[in-house]
Amino acid sequence: MRDKKSNWFSLNLKSSTKRKASPCGCGRTAGSCKGSESPEHKDGFKQVFDVKMGRRKAFKKLTASLLSGAGLVDTSCSLTTGQSAKEKAQIGWEELFKGNYKLMTDAEKRATVQRLTRAYELRTGKTIHMSSKNAEKNVLFGYAFNISKCRGYMNCVAACVKENNQDRKSHMQYIRIHEMEDGKGFKFNEADDNYYHEVPAAGHFYMGTQCFHCDNPPCTKVCPVQATWQEEDGLVVIDYDWCIGCRYCMAACPYDGRRFNWNKPEVPEEEVNKNQHYLGNRLRKKGVMEKCTFCIQRSRAGRNPACVDACPTGARVFGNLLDPDSSIRYVLENKKVFRLKEDLGTEPKFWYYVD
Amino acid sequence: MMHSASRNPCCIIFLLFLFCACKQADTKREKYPTIIDKIQAKSAHYDGVSISSNPYISEETIAVIEKGHHFLIPARKNRVALRTCAICHSKPLPEMRGEGLKRAHWNIDLHHADSKTMRCTTCHDPGNPAQLRSLTGNPIDFNKSYRLCSQCHAEQFEDWAGGAHGKSAGGWAPPRVSMTCVNCHNPHAPRFGSRWPTWYNTRKAVERK
Amino acid sequence: MMRRLSVLIHLIRDGLDTTTKGSKRYHLWMAFLTLVMLIGMYCYAIQLKQGLSATGMTDRVSWGLYISNFTFLVGVAAAAVMLVMPTYVLKDLDFKQAVLMGEGIAVAALIMCLAFVIADMGGPAVLWHMIPGIGVFNFPNSMLTWDVLVLNGYLFLNISIPFYILFTRYQGKEPKASVYVPGALLSVFWAVGIHLVTAFLYQGLQSRPFWNNALLGPRFLASAFAAGPALIVLVLAAIRSHTPFKISDKTIGKIAMVVTVAAQINLIMLGSELFKEFYAPTQHSESAYYLFFGLGDKAALRPWIWTSISLNVIATATLSFHRLRRNFKVLYAACSVLFFAIWIEKGFGLIVPGFIPGPYGKIAEYTPTAIEIGVTLGIWALGAFIFIILSKTAIKIETGELRFTGKS
Repeated sequence: MRDKKSNWFSLNLKSSTKRKASPCGCGRTAGSCKGSESPEHKDGFKQVFDVKMGRRKAFKKLTASLLSGAGLVDTSCSLTTGQSAKEKAQIGWEELFKGNYKLMTDAEKRATVQRLTRAYELRTGKTIHMSSKNAEKNVLFGYAFNISKCRGYMNCVAACVKENNQDRKSHMQYIRIHEMEDGKGFKFNEADDNYYHEVPAAGHFYMGTQCFHCDNPPCTKVCPVQATWQEEDGLVVIDYDWCIGCRYCMAACPYDGRRFNWNKPEVPEEEVNKNQHYLGNRLRKKGVMEKCTFCIQRSRAGRNPACVDACPTGARVFGNLLDPDSSIRYVLENKKVFRLKEDLGTEPKFWYYVD
Repeated sequence: MMHSASRNPCCIIFLLFLFCACKQADTKREKYPTIIDKIQAKSAHYDGVSISSNPYISEETIAVIEKGHHFLIPARKNRVALRTCAICHSKPLPEMRGEGLKRAHWNIDLHHADSKTMRCTTCHDPGNPAQLRSLTGNPIDFNKSYRLCSQCHAEQFEDWAGGAHGKSAGGWAPPRVSMTCVNCHNPHAPRFGSRWPTWYNTRKAVERK
Repeated sequence: MMRRLSVLIHLIRDGLDTTTKGSKRYHLWMAFLTLVMLIGMYCYAIQLKQGLSATGMTDRVSWGLYISNFTFLVGVAAAAVMLVMPTYVLKDLDFKQAVLMGEGIAVAALIMCLAFVIADMGGPAVLWHMIPGIGVFNFPNSMLTWDVLVLNGYLFLNISIPFYILFTRYQGKEPKASVYVPGALLSVFWAVGIHLVTAFLYQGLQSRPFWNNALLGPRFLASAFAAGPALIVLVLAAIRSHTPFKISDKTIGKIAMVVTVAAQINLIMLGSELFKEFYAPTQHSESAYYLFFGLGDKAALRPWIWTSISLNVIATATLSFHRLRRNFKVLYAACSVLFFAIWIEKGFGLIVPGFIPGPYGKIAEYTPTAIEIGVTLGIWALGAFIFIILSKTAIKIETGELRFTGKS
């Protein structure tokens, strides 16, 4: 069952998964799991995005078309600058005038992903892997949260920040864990979502919120440029390059699910998660919206979102709502589930349940 | 006054426009009034997905069928250091008592129910430490230790088999891999401890003040 | 065609000539406005470089001073219609002199609106994504696209109608009613449209109960038709005292009547809103509680809104007495008080509480930064600047001082 190819891009997560599955039942990490973690970047490419040759070819084509097209202006104006500076300018030019990702053909999607990958390489000398994988047929993602199991450890928050390359400067976090007092019901206004003491605190319970990926999302409806939309598999996504930053979606979201880059987001180069998706955790710029995408770079590849894998108590269940045998369907059909603000008619795909 | 009549058609056109706006926005909802309807309609002809979570299963697994659910669990037998058991446990436990051997398993503290309910031999077979035994004395394989737990924790077992309790060890895509009880709970002290959160948003704390 | 072009060139040349000449006070005033605009631009440059973190807005309160001013100014722009309707359609000559000023105010207000929206954008460089054809225009789903359409349409109407009139007058001809009456008629509905659509922008959000009430649109209209004409009264008063342009007392009296009625309706609606929020308060009344009384120790808006309401009541009461209203000194004072009161109420008194408390009841207050205030003042100065240029030329043409002579 061991698949070496999958090891490279799961550095942060595999370690937590392994800890859970560590050989001794005492829960201690006595694992020498490190052995299999040798990062093989090339293998990762092959495995998830096996177009190594196609990529090169496309680049050649791209460069050729750019030279003869719009890029010609830049090139001819900057004869003295280096080759990479020219290429950077070409990529910048192409990126500036590209269309909305939602309306792109698959070839165009690949082209922009290649440009972005190449731009990163030129900028930092490092290789990233960016996917443009479309929604899978027969998939509708859903999420369930077990309130009686959450103990407020916030491993999910830490994993999410790392996985999704969130801005470290403004301490952006998609997930909030609300610490609520027993016997008062769901009093979000009295709950603390930034506690720092030993958890679980006596007489308290914990409830996590994030983007609920509504089936009738009010945020996508109000976007004036359709920079945010619902994909076929139910994920509500944003094209960061198309967003104009009007924040109307933020005002429309009843669940505090959206975040805005008030400043230029900063992620230390060594902490950048290099397994990316165009609609997911690729590096953002200032003045655009972002939000939880159920880790589209992972979920579209068959994996669980980082928060699910990081949760040490199993309070988070993720799966395909269309698969009658999936865990999420079991939860919906057998547990007493509810959602937040159901009266608004937003139909969130994020259910809460208790044991 | 003459012109006031011409005001009406404009009003109507404006309202019509608004109506169209609402209609367009609602077309998706008309198809499925609620998400449950959508799930039911779209999963009626579910015939699987093309991706699998096989690449993410990093350990040896075994297939089980519990409560009608088919899934994989991580194998455990080979991970427990069984061989070392046999070095000392050459004969049944009662016979080994008082032989002047060194105390063993001194580091295991049992914090599982109280001492009236649970002791070592409630789960371990003193005659054959290489396997576990049920309350009625039937042998249970180390690979299926969850059966031991399910004797008392029937509700949790039911939820675990369905996927509402416990944690996935692969991806969401089939095949489903579920961690077993002992992957998360130390059987000798199953309760999760309290600790400090992994995350603290210092900036938000400053903003609050 | 060629002749028209040469007339246009002359008009522009004469216009420039008019606007660059004036008294010392005029020059000082214009220099001051330019200085404020430059300061605003400097602040905006800082904001562009640093990102919107240069403002006081946060994830909790994601719209602030910019959108508040935008909302208020849409109302001011819409109010020009109150003068257009009787003048052009009902042939009430009293308003005719006032209407050009009203439309000038509308143009200035709309340009300010657009400037405020652009100042609020996270990515002003990619605004072209909104242009239909090249970009993607989410029409009719997004109310913001409706707003873009109606605002720009209204701007076009309010530029073209006065331009046509002035252009013909400039040539010494009488403008044809068959040309401008349909346009004026259209702008009447359009004005109601821009304000309703702007109200729907907020009203349509089920996530913000403070905005999500049916009275928001009508209240927008009522307050706009009080604040807009109040500003026009003040502007006409200034024009009367500073230029030879004749505006009769009757005109001002009639506009004052409009202001009074609208302010009265506005107060009735305010009463209805207060009753709904406080007679049987639900969780959805939290925002109103925050606005009027503060929640816990967070009460930044409380002094503002009570100032606004008391000024509003005083002004409306003053205007309601015929004798007081006919005293022009009292009228001007009441109009400025009313304008200021509605600026608070329809500006950050409406926008900011919509975000407080947040979706999960968390309270985070909003205080604009100096940068934000600088940009806001700069945009107001821009509006004043544009209005003065437009009105100065228009007055010269209307009074007959400026005529096409054919000589350069």
